[in-house]
Amino acid sequence: MSATCEFQAKDYKSDLKPIWCPGCGDFSVVQGIYRALAAIGRPPHEIAFVSGIGCSSRIPGYTTAYGFNSVHGRSLPIAQGIKLANPDLLVLAAGGDGDGFSIGGGHIAHLIRRNIDITYIVMDNQIYGLTKGQLSPTSQKGRVTCTSRYGSMENPVNPLLYVLAYGAGFVAQASPTDLAGMAATIEEAIRYPGFAFVNIQSPCVTYGEEAQQIKGLKAISESLKELGHNPEDRLAAMDLAQHYGEKLHLGVFYKNPEPQPTYDALVRERQALLSKDALPKERILDLFIKK
Amino acid sequence: MAPRIDFASLSLMDALDLAVLIEEEAQERYEEFAAQMEQHRTPEAAAFFRLMAINEAKHGRELAARRSQLFGGVPATATRAMIFDVEAPDYDEARAFMSPRRAMKAALASEAKAHAFFVAALPAIQNPEVRALFEELRDEEVYHQELVKTELAKLPPDSGLSDEDFVDEPTAQ
Repeated sequence: MSATCEFQAKDYKSDLKPIWCPGCGDFSVVQGIYRALAAIGRPPHEIAFVSGIGCSSRIPGYTTAYGFNSVHGRSLPIAQGIKLANPDLLVLAAGGDGDGFSIGGGHIAHLIRRNIDITYIVMDNQIYGLTKGQLSPTSQKGRVTCTSRYGSMENPVNPLLYVLAYGAGFVAQASPTDLAGMAATIEEAIRYPGFAFVNIQSPCVTYGEEAQQIKGLKAISESLKELGHNPEDRLAAMDLAQHYGEKLHLGVFYKNPEPQPTYDALVRERQALLSKDALPKERILDLFIKK
Repeated sequence: MAPRIDFASLSLMDALDLAVLIEEEAQERYEEFAAQMEQHRTPEAAAFFRLMAINEAKHGRELAARRSQLFGGVPATATRAMIFDVEAPDYDEARAFMSPRRAMKAALASEAKAHAFFVAALPAIQNPEVRALFEELRDEEVYHQELVKTELAKLPPDSGLSDEDFVDEPTAQ
Protein backbone atom coordinates (compact mmCIF):
# COMPACT_ATOMS: atom_id res chain seq x y z
CA MET A 1 0.00 0.00 0.00
CA SER A 2 0.99 3.62 0.38
CA ALA A 3 4.64 4.38 0.67
CA THR A 4 5.94 6.47 3.52
CA CYS A 5 8.21 8.67 1.42
CA GLU A 6 6.96 12.01 0.15
CA PHE A 7 6.36 12.56 -3.53
CA GLN A 8 6.61 15.74 -5.53
CA ALA A 9 4.59 16.77 -8.56
CA LYS A 10 7.60 16.11 -10.83
CA ASP A 11 7.65 12.45 -9.75
CA TYR A 12 4.43 11.90 -11.72
CA LYS A 13 5.69 13.60 -14.88
CA SER A 14 6.82 11.21 -17.59
CA ASP A 15 9.58 11.85 -20.12
CA LEU A 16 7.06 11.97 -22.95
CA LYS A 17 6.56 15.51 -24.27
CA PRO A 18 2.91 16.51 -24.72
CA ILE A 19 1.98 17.13 -28.35
CA TRP A 20 -1.10 19.18 -27.53
CA CYS A 21 -1.35 22.52 -29.30
CA PRO A 22 0.57 25.18 -27.37
CA GLY A 23 -1.87 27.04 -25.17
CA CYS A 24 -4.19 24.03 -24.77
CA GLY A 25 -5.98 23.89 -21.42
CA ASP A 26 -4.96 20.25 -21.04
CA PHE A 27 -1.42 21.37 -20.13
CA SER A 28 -2.82 22.83 -16.94
CA VAL A 29 -4.95 19.75 -16.27
CA VAL A 30 -1.94 17.46 -16.32
CA GLN A 31 -0.15 19.85 -13.95
CA GLY A 32 -3.20 19.79 -11.67
CA ILE A 33 -3.12 15.99 -11.70
CA TYR A 34 0.62 15.93 -10.87
CA ARG A 35 0.00 18.23 -7.90
CA ALA A 36 -3.04 16.26 -6.70
CA LEU A 37 -1.18 12.96 -6.91
CA ALA A 38 1.78 14.42 -5.02
CA ALA A 39 -0.59 15.56 -2.28
CA ILE A 40 -2.15 12.08 -2.13
CA GLY A 41 1.34 10.60 -1.97
CA ARG A 42 0.73 7.21 -3.59
CA PRO A 43 3.74 6.03 -5.61
CA PRO A 44 3.22 5.97 -9.41
CA HIS A 45 3.25 2.16 -9.55
CA GLU A 46 0.13 2.10 -7.36
CA ILE A 47 -1.83 4.25 -9.81
CA ALA A 48 -3.62 3.19 -12.99
CA PHE A 49 -4.71 5.89 -15.40
CA VAL A 50 -7.11 4.97 -18.20
CA SER A 51 -8.37 7.16 -21.03
CA GLY A 52 -10.43 6.89 -24.18
CA ILE A 53 -9.63 8.60 -27.47
CA GLY A 54 -9.17 12.28 -28.19
CA CYS A 55 -6.66 15.07 -27.56
CA SER A 56 -7.18 14.91 -23.80
CA SER A 57 -7.02 11.12 -23.76
CA ARG A 58 -3.29 11.32 -24.37
CA ILE A 59 -2.96 12.34 -20.76
CA PRO A 60 -1.99 8.99 -19.14
CA GLY A 61 1.16 8.94 -21.27
CA TYR A 62 2.34 12.16 -19.70
CA THR A 63 2.29 10.65 -16.23
CA THR A 64 4.47 7.99 -14.64
CA ALA A 65 1.40 6.01 -13.53
CA TYR A 66 0.41 2.81 -15.34
CA GLY A 67 -1.44 4.16 -18.35
CA PHE A 68 -3.89 2.81 -20.88
CA ASN A 69 -4.94 5.01 -23.81
CA SER A 70 -7.83 2.72 -24.68
CA VAL A 71 -10.77 2.72 -27.08
CA HIS A 72 -13.08 5.64 -27.89
CA GLY A 73 -15.60 6.07 -25.09
CA ARG A 74 -14.48 2.99 -23.18
CA SER A 75 -12.23 4.42 -20.49
CA LEU A 76 -14.78 3.77 -17.75
CA PRO A 77 -15.50 0.05 -18.33
CA ILE A 78 -11.77 -0.61 -18.58
CA ALA A 79 -11.07 1.42 -15.44
CA GLN A 80 -13.85 -0.52 -13.71
CA GLY A 81 -12.25 -3.83 -14.68
CA ILE A 82 -8.88 -2.69 -13.39
CA LYS A 83 -10.38 -1.57 -10.08
CA LEU A 84 -12.23 -4.85 -9.59
CA ALA A 85 -9.21 -6.93 -10.50
CA ASN A 86 -6.86 -4.93 -8.29
CA PRO A 87 -8.85 -2.90 -5.75
CA ASP A 88 -5.70 -1.59 -4.08
CA LEU A 89 -4.82 0.49 -7.12
CA LEU A 90 -5.75 4.15 -7.24
CA VAL A 91 -7.69 4.30 -10.51
CA LEU A 92 -8.16 7.44 -12.57
CA ALA A 93 -10.12 7.70 -15.80
CA ALA A 94 -10.00 10.66 -18.15
CA GLY A 95 -11.15 11.85 -21.53
CA GLY A 96 -12.89 14.60 -23.38
CA ASP A 97 -16.54 15.62 -23.53
CA GLY A 98 -17.05 13.69 -26.77
CA ASP A 99 -15.46 10.56 -25.37
CA GLY A 100 -17.40 10.78 -22.12
CA PHE A 101 -20.81 12.11 -23.12
CA SER A 102 -21.28 10.91 -26.69
CA ILE A 103 -19.86 7.51 -27.54
CA GLY A 104 -19.10 6.71 -23.90
CA GLY A 105 -22.14 8.38 -22.39
CA GLY A 106 -23.92 5.14 -21.61
CA HIS A 107 -21.18 3.89 -19.32
CA ILE A 108 -21.28 6.72 -16.82
CA ALA A 109 -24.67 5.79 -15.39
CA HIS A 110 -23.54 2.27 -14.57
CA LEU A 111 -20.35 3.26 -12.82
CA ILE A 112 -22.32 5.75 -10.79
CA ARG A 113 -25.04 3.28 -9.75
CA ARG A 114 -22.39 0.71 -8.82
CA ASN A 115 -20.34 3.38 -7.06
CA ILE A 116 -16.98 2.12 -8.26
CA ASP A 117 -14.12 3.90 -6.48
CA ILE A 118 -12.75 5.71 -9.52
CA THR A 119 -12.08 9.38 -10.20
CA TYR A 120 -13.30 10.40 -13.64
CA ILE A 121 -11.85 13.61 -15.07
CA VAL A 122 -13.51 15.05 -18.16
CA MET A 123 -11.61 17.72 -20.06
CA ASP A 124 -14.57 19.53 -21.49
CA ASN A 125 -13.69 21.81 -24.41
CA GLN A 126 -17.06 21.68 -26.19
CA ILE A 127 -15.52 20.56 -29.47
CA TYR A 128 -13.94 17.54 -31.14
CA GLY A 129 -10.44 18.97 -31.35
CA LEU A 130 -8.40 15.95 -32.46
CA THR A 131 -10.55 15.47 -35.56
CA LYS A 132 -10.40 19.20 -36.31
CA GLY A 133 -13.37 20.98 -34.90
CA GLN A 134 -16.66 19.12 -35.19
CA LEU A 135 -19.71 19.68 -32.98
CA SER A 136 -19.44 17.77 -29.69
CA PRO A 137 -22.15 16.80 -27.19
CA THR A 138 -21.40 19.82 -25.00
CA SER A 139 -21.17 22.37 -27.86
CA GLN A 140 -23.57 25.22 -27.29
CA LYS A 141 -26.73 25.54 -29.36
CA GLY A 142 -26.10 27.79 -32.34
CA ARG A 143 -22.38 26.96 -32.44
CA VAL A 144 -20.95 27.14 -35.93
CA THR A 145 -18.50 24.35 -36.72
CA CYS A 146 -17.48 22.44 -39.83
CA THR A 147 -20.35 20.03 -39.13
CA SER A 148 -22.87 22.73 -38.23
CA ARG A 149 -22.33 25.38 -40.87
CA TYR A 150 -25.52 27.24 -40.03
CA GLY A 151 -25.27 26.76 -36.27
CA SER A 152 -26.02 23.77 -34.09
CA MET A 153 -29.68 22.93 -33.68
CA GLU A 154 -29.01 20.65 -30.71
CA ASN A 155 -29.17 21.40 -27.02
CA PRO A 156 -25.88 20.56 -25.30
CA VAL A 157 -25.50 17.83 -22.71
CA ASN A 158 -25.06 19.32 -19.24
CA PRO A 159 -22.34 17.04 -17.76
CA LEU A 160 -22.87 18.26 -14.20
CA LEU A 161 -26.63 17.70 -14.18
CA TYR A 162 -26.13 14.39 -15.98
CA VAL A 163 -23.96 12.87 -13.25
CA LEU A 164 -25.91 14.50 -10.41
CA ALA A 165 -29.15 13.06 -11.76
CA TYR A 166 -27.65 9.57 -11.81
CA GLY A 167 -26.65 9.97 -8.17
CA ALA A 168 -22.89 10.48 -8.29
CA GLY A 169 -21.50 10.90 -4.78
CA PHE A 170 -18.90 13.49 -5.73
CA VAL A 171 -19.34 16.11 -8.44
CA ALA A 172 -17.02 19.06 -8.98
CA GLN A 173 -15.85 21.49 -11.63
CA ALA A 174 -12.47 23.12 -12.20
CA SER A 175 -10.68 25.15 -14.86
CA PRO A 176 -7.19 26.35 -15.82
CA THR A 177 -8.17 29.79 -14.49
CA ASP A 178 -7.27 28.43 -11.05
CA LEU A 179 -4.66 25.68 -11.08
CA ALA A 180 -4.26 25.50 -7.31
CA GLY A 181 -8.03 25.14 -6.96
CA MET A 182 -8.05 22.51 -9.71
CA ALA A 183 -5.36 20.47 -7.96
CA ALA A 184 -7.22 20.69 -4.65
CA THR A 185 -10.49 19.63 -6.33
CA ILE A 186 -8.86 16.63 -8.03
CA GLU A 187 -7.23 15.66 -4.74
CA GLU A 188 -10.58 15.83 -2.95
CA ALA A 189 -12.18 13.75 -5.70
CA ILE A 190 -9.49 11.07 -5.41
CA ARG A 191 -9.90 10.97 -1.64
CA TYR A 192 -13.68 10.51 -1.96
CA PRO A 193 -14.52 6.83 -1.36
CA GLY A 194 -16.59 6.11 -4.47
CA PHE A 195 -17.23 7.36 -7.97
CA ALA A 196 -16.05 10.95 -8.23
CA PHE A 197 -16.57 13.18 -11.25
CA VAL A 198 -14.60 16.31 -12.07
CA ASN A 199 -15.58 18.37 -15.11
CA ILE A 200 -12.72 20.59 -16.20
CA GLN A 201 -13.41 23.43 -18.60
CA SER A 202 -10.27 23.07 -20.66
CA PRO A 203 -10.12 25.54 -23.55
CA CYS A 204 -9.30 24.40 -27.07
CA VAL A 205 -7.03 27.13 -28.42
CA THR A 206 -7.28 25.97 -32.00
CA TYR A 207 -11.00 25.36 -32.51
CA GLY A 208 -12.50 26.90 -29.37
CA GLU A 209 -14.33 30.19 -29.36
CA GLU A 210 -12.86 33.34 -27.84
CA ALA A 211 -15.29 33.31 -24.91
CA GLN A 212 -14.11 29.82 -23.98
CA GLN A 213 -10.47 30.80 -23.62
CA ILE A 214 -8.92 31.51 -20.22
CA LYS A 215 -9.75 35.22 -20.20
CA GLY A 216 -13.36 34.49 -21.14
CA LEU A 217 -13.59 31.78 -18.49
CA LYS A 218 -12.14 34.09 -15.85
CA ALA A 219 -14.91 36.56 -16.60
CA ILE A 220 -17.64 34.02 -15.77
CA SER A 221 -15.87 32.16 -12.93
CA GLU A 222 -17.45 31.98 -9.51
CA SER A 223 -16.17 29.99 -6.56
CA LEU A 224 -18.86 27.77 -5.06
CA LYS A 225 -17.23 28.19 -1.65
CA GLU A 226 -17.45 31.96 -1.88
CA LEU A 227 -21.07 31.69 -2.96
CA GLY A 228 -21.68 29.91 0.34
CA HIS A 229 -22.81 26.72 -1.39
CA ASN A 230 -23.21 23.73 0.89
CA PRO A 231 -21.71 20.76 -0.99
CA GLU A 232 -23.84 18.34 1.04
CA ASP A 233 -27.02 19.79 -0.52
CA ARG A 234 -27.67 17.80 -3.68
CA LEU A 235 -30.68 19.82 -4.80
CA ALA A 236 -28.79 23.09 -4.40
CA ALA A 237 -26.00 21.51 -6.45
CA MET A 238 -28.48 20.64 -9.21
CA ASP A 239 -29.84 24.16 -9.13
CA LEU A 240 -26.34 25.62 -9.59
CA ALA A 241 -25.46 23.02 -12.23
CA GLN A 242 -28.25 24.36 -14.43
CA HIS A 243 -26.06 27.38 -15.13
CA TYR A 244 -23.49 25.22 -16.97
CA GLY A 245 -22.43 27.11 -20.10
CA GLU A 246 -23.46 30.51 -18.75
CA LYS A 247 -21.42 30.63 -15.55
CA LEU A 248 -18.32 28.76 -14.53
CA HIS A 249 -18.88 27.55 -10.99
CA LEU A 250 -15.65 26.21 -9.57
CA GLY A 251 -15.30 23.77 -6.69
CA VAL A 252 -17.37 20.96 -5.25
CA PHE A 253 -21.04 20.90 -6.29
CA TYR A 254 -21.90 17.81 -4.33
CA LYS A 255 -20.16 15.49 -1.90
CA ASN A 256 -22.30 12.82 -0.30
CA PRO A 257 -21.75 13.17 3.46
CA GLU A 258 -22.60 9.50 3.90
CA PRO A 259 -20.88 7.71 1.01
CA GLN A 260 -22.47 4.42 0.00
CA PRO A 261 -20.31 1.28 0.07
CA THR A 262 -18.30 0.96 -3.11
CA TYR A 263 -18.96 -1.87 -5.54
CA ASP A 264 -15.33 -3.00 -5.28
CA ALA A 265 -15.68 -3.28 -1.50
CA LEU A 266 -18.95 -5.21 -1.86
CA VAL A 267 -17.33 -7.58 -4.35
CA ARG A 268 -14.51 -8.25 -1.90
CA GLU A 269 -17.02 -8.85 0.89
CA ARG A 270 -18.96 -11.28 -1.27
CA GLN A 271 -15.77 -13.06 -2.30
CA ALA A 272 -14.77 -13.48 1.33
CA LEU A 273 -18.19 -14.81 2.22
CA LEU A 274 -18.35 -17.32 -0.62
CA SER A 275 -14.76 -18.44 -0.28
CA LYS A 276 -15.63 -20.14 3.03
CA ASP A 277 -17.61 -22.83 1.19
CA ALA A 278 -15.56 -22.75 -1.98
CA LEU A 279 -14.06 -25.93 -3.35
CA PRO A 280 -10.28 -26.17 -3.50
CA LYS A 281 -8.87 -25.43 -6.94
CA GLU A 282 -8.07 -29.08 -7.70
CA ARG A 283 -11.72 -30.05 -7.13
CA ILE A 284 -13.27 -27.28 -9.19
CA LEU A 285 -14.37 -29.71 -11.95
CA ASP A 286 -16.61 -31.45 -9.41
CA LEU A 287 -19.05 -28.61 -9.93
CA PHE A 288 -19.66 -29.81 -13.48
CA ILE A 289 -19.72 -33.55 -12.86
CA LYS A 290 -23.09 -35.10 -12.26
CA LYS A 291 -23.09 -37.35 -9.26
CA MET B 1 -10.57 33.57 -7.24
CA ALA B 2 -10.18 34.68 -3.63
CA PRO B 3 -6.67 35.47 -2.49
CA ARG B 4 -5.27 32.57 -0.54
CA ILE B 5 -2.75 34.76 1.26
CA ASP B 6 -3.51 36.75 4.39
CA PHE B 7 -1.25 39.71 3.62
CA ALA B 8 -2.04 41.41 6.93
CA SER B 9 -0.40 38.66 8.96
CA LEU B 10 2.36 37.78 6.51
CA SER B 11 5.79 37.39 8.13
CA LEU B 12 9.04 38.22 6.34
CA MET B 13 9.95 34.54 6.14
CA ASP B 14 6.60 33.63 4.58
CA ALA B 15 6.85 36.60 2.22
CA LEU B 16 10.29 35.48 1.05
CA ASP B 17 9.06 31.91 0.65
CA LEU B 18 6.12 33.13 -1.42
CA ALA B 19 8.41 35.25 -3.55
CA VAL B 20 10.59 32.19 -4.22
CA LEU B 21 7.50 30.13 -5.10
CA ILE B 22 6.29 32.84 -7.47
CA GLU B 23 9.63 32.77 -9.29
CA GLU B 24 9.61 28.96 -9.37
CA GLU B 25 6.13 28.90 -10.86
CA ALA B 26 7.12 31.40 -13.55
CA GLN B 27 10.31 29.47 -14.29
CA GLU B 28 8.38 26.21 -14.70
CA ARG B 29 5.78 27.82 -16.96
CA TYR B 30 8.45 29.33 -19.21
CA GLU B 31 10.22 25.97 -19.36
CA GLU B 32 6.92 24.36 -20.28
CA PHE B 33 6.29 26.97 -22.98
CA ALA B 34 9.82 26.48 -24.32
CA ALA B 35 9.24 22.73 -24.52
CA GLN B 36 5.92 23.32 -26.34
CA MET B 37 7.64 25.59 -28.84
CA GLU B 38 10.42 23.08 -29.43
CA GLN B 39 7.83 20.35 -29.92
CA HIS B 40 6.08 22.55 -32.50
CA ARG B 41 9.24 23.63 -34.34
CA THR B 42 9.24 27.24 -33.18
CA PRO B 43 12.86 27.65 -32.07
CA GLU B 44 12.96 31.46 -31.78
CA ALA B 45 10.09 31.62 -29.29
CA ALA B 46 11.51 28.57 -27.51
CA ALA B 47 14.87 30.30 -27.08
CA PHE B 48 13.19 33.38 -25.67
CA PHE B 49 11.12 31.35 -23.20
CA ARG B 50 14.27 29.48 -22.12
CA LEU B 51 15.93 32.83 -21.47
CA MET B 52 12.96 33.94 -19.37
CA ALA B 53 13.11 30.67 -17.41
CA ILE B 54 16.82 31.26 -16.71
CA ASN B 55 16.08 34.80 -15.50
CA GLU B 56 13.26 33.64 -13.23
CA ALA B 57 15.48 30.87 -11.84
CA LYS B 58 18.27 33.37 -11.15
CA HIS B 59 15.91 35.71 -9.33
CA GLY B 60 14.47 32.77 -7.39
CA ARG B 61 17.94 31.68 -6.29
CA GLU B 62 18.77 35.20 -5.08
CA LEU B 63 15.57 35.32 -3.02
CA ALA B 64 16.17 31.82 -1.67
CA ALA B 65 19.69 32.83 -0.59
CA ARG B 66 18.28 35.82 1.29
CA ARG B 67 15.73 33.62 2.96
CA SER B 68 18.38 31.12 3.92
CA GLN B 69 20.65 33.83 5.32
CA LEU B 70 17.86 35.29 7.47
CA PHE B 71 15.99 32.20 8.56
CA GLY B 72 18.31 29.26 7.92
CA GLY B 73 16.56 25.94 7.71
CA VAL B 74 13.30 26.93 9.41
CA PRO B 75 10.61 24.91 7.58
CA ALA B 76 8.46 26.92 5.18
CA THR B 77 4.74 27.20 5.74
CA ALA B 78 3.95 28.91 2.44
CA THR B 79 2.91 26.50 -0.30
CA ARG B 80 2.30 26.55 -4.04
CA ALA B 81 -1.43 26.18 -3.33
CA MET B 82 -1.38 29.78 -2.06
CA ILE B 83 -0.38 31.25 -5.40
CA PHE B 84 -1.40 30.85 -9.01
CA ASP B 85 -0.15 32.59 -12.13
CA VAL B 86 1.31 35.58 -10.29
CA GLU B 87 4.27 35.99 -12.64
CA ALA B 88 3.70 32.97 -14.87
CA PRO B 89 1.98 33.67 -18.20
CA ASP B 90 -1.54 32.25 -18.61
CA TYR B 91 -1.58 28.77 -20.11
CA ASP B 92 -3.31 29.97 -23.26
CA GLU B 93 -0.70 32.63 -24.03
CA ALA B 94 1.36 30.02 -25.88
CA ARG B 95 0.48 29.45 -29.52
CA ALA B 96 1.74 27.14 -32.20
CA PHE B 97 4.27 28.93 -34.40
CA MET B 98 4.14 32.06 -32.26
CA SER B 99 6.54 34.78 -33.32
CA PRO B 100 9.30 36.08 -31.02
CA ARG B 101 7.30 39.30 -30.84
CA ARG B 102 4.23 37.52 -29.56
CA ALA B 103 6.34 35.53 -27.10
CA MET B 104 7.87 38.71 -25.74
CA LYS B 105 4.47 40.36 -25.48
CA ALA B 106 3.24 37.38 -23.44
CA ALA B 107 6.23 37.80 -21.12
CA LEU B 108 5.63 41.53 -20.88
CA ALA B 109 2.00 40.95 -19.90
CA SER B 110 3.16 38.52 -17.21
CA GLU B 111 5.59 41.04 -15.75
CA ALA B 112 2.76 43.59 -15.68
CA LYS B 113 0.53 41.02 -13.99
CA ALA B 114 3.17 40.40 -11.29
CA HIS B 115 3.55 44.15 -10.77
CA ALA B 116 -0.23 44.44 -10.32
CA PHE B 117 -0.13 41.60 -7.76
CA PHE B 118 2.41 43.40 -5.56
CA VAL B 119 0.63 46.75 -5.95
CA ALA B 120 -2.69 45.17 -4.92
CA ALA B 121 -1.11 43.41 -1.91
CA LEU B 122 0.70 46.43 -0.46
CA PRO B 123 -2.24 48.24 1.22
CA ALA B 124 -3.05 45.14 3.32
CA ILE B 125 0.51 44.53 4.55
CA GLN B 126 1.16 45.42 8.21
CA ASN B 127 4.75 44.23 8.71
CA PRO B 128 7.20 47.00 7.62
CA GLU B 129 9.86 44.47 6.52
CA VAL B 130 7.34 42.65 4.34
CA ARG B 131 6.19 45.99 2.96
CA ALA B 132 9.78 46.90 2.05
CA LEU B 133 10.26 43.52 0.35
CA PHE B 134 7.04 43.83 -1.66
CA GLU B 135 7.94 47.37 -2.71
CA GLU B 136 11.30 46.08 -3.86
CA LEU B 137 9.65 43.22 -5.79
CA ARG B 138 7.10 45.62 -7.31
CA ASP B 139 9.91 47.88 -8.54
CA GLU B 140 11.82 44.93 -9.93
CA GLU B 141 8.83 44.00 -12.04
CA VAL B 142 8.97 47.47 -13.60
CA TYR B 143 12.65 46.90 -14.34
CA HIS B 144 11.88 43.48 -15.88
CA GLN B 145 9.24 45.09 -18.11
CA GLU B 146 11.86 47.56 -19.33
CA LEU B 147 14.23 44.69 -20.16
CA VAL B 148 11.56 42.92 -22.23
CA LYS B 149 10.63 46.18 -23.96
CA THR B 150 14.29 46.68 -24.89
CA GLU B 151 14.37 43.20 -26.44
CA LEU B 152 11.11 43.91 -28.28
CA ALA B 153 12.57 47.10 -29.74
CA LYS B 154 15.46 45.09 -31.23
CA LEU B 155 13.10 42.95 -33.32
CA PRO B 156 12.68 43.63 -37.04
CA PRO B 157 9.32 45.13 -38.09
CA ASP B 158 6.29 42.86 -37.86
CA SER B 159 5.71 40.71 -40.97
CA GLY B 160 1.97 41.26 -40.76
CA LEU B 161 1.38 37.51 -40.67
CA SER B 162 -0.73 36.12 -37.88
CA ASP B 163 0.14 32.94 -35.97
CA GLU B 164 -3.33 31.76 -36.92
CA ASP B 165 -2.25 31.74 -40.58
CA PHE B 166 -0.22 28.63 -39.80
CA VAL B 167 -2.99 26.67 -38.08
CA ASP B 168 -4.98 24.07 -40.00
CA GLU B 169 -8.51 25.02 -40.89
CA PRO B 170 -11.26 22.91 -39.32
CA THR B 171 -12.38 20.13 -41.62
CA ALA B 172 -15.11 17.52 -41.62
CA GLN B 173 -14.06 13.87 -41.56
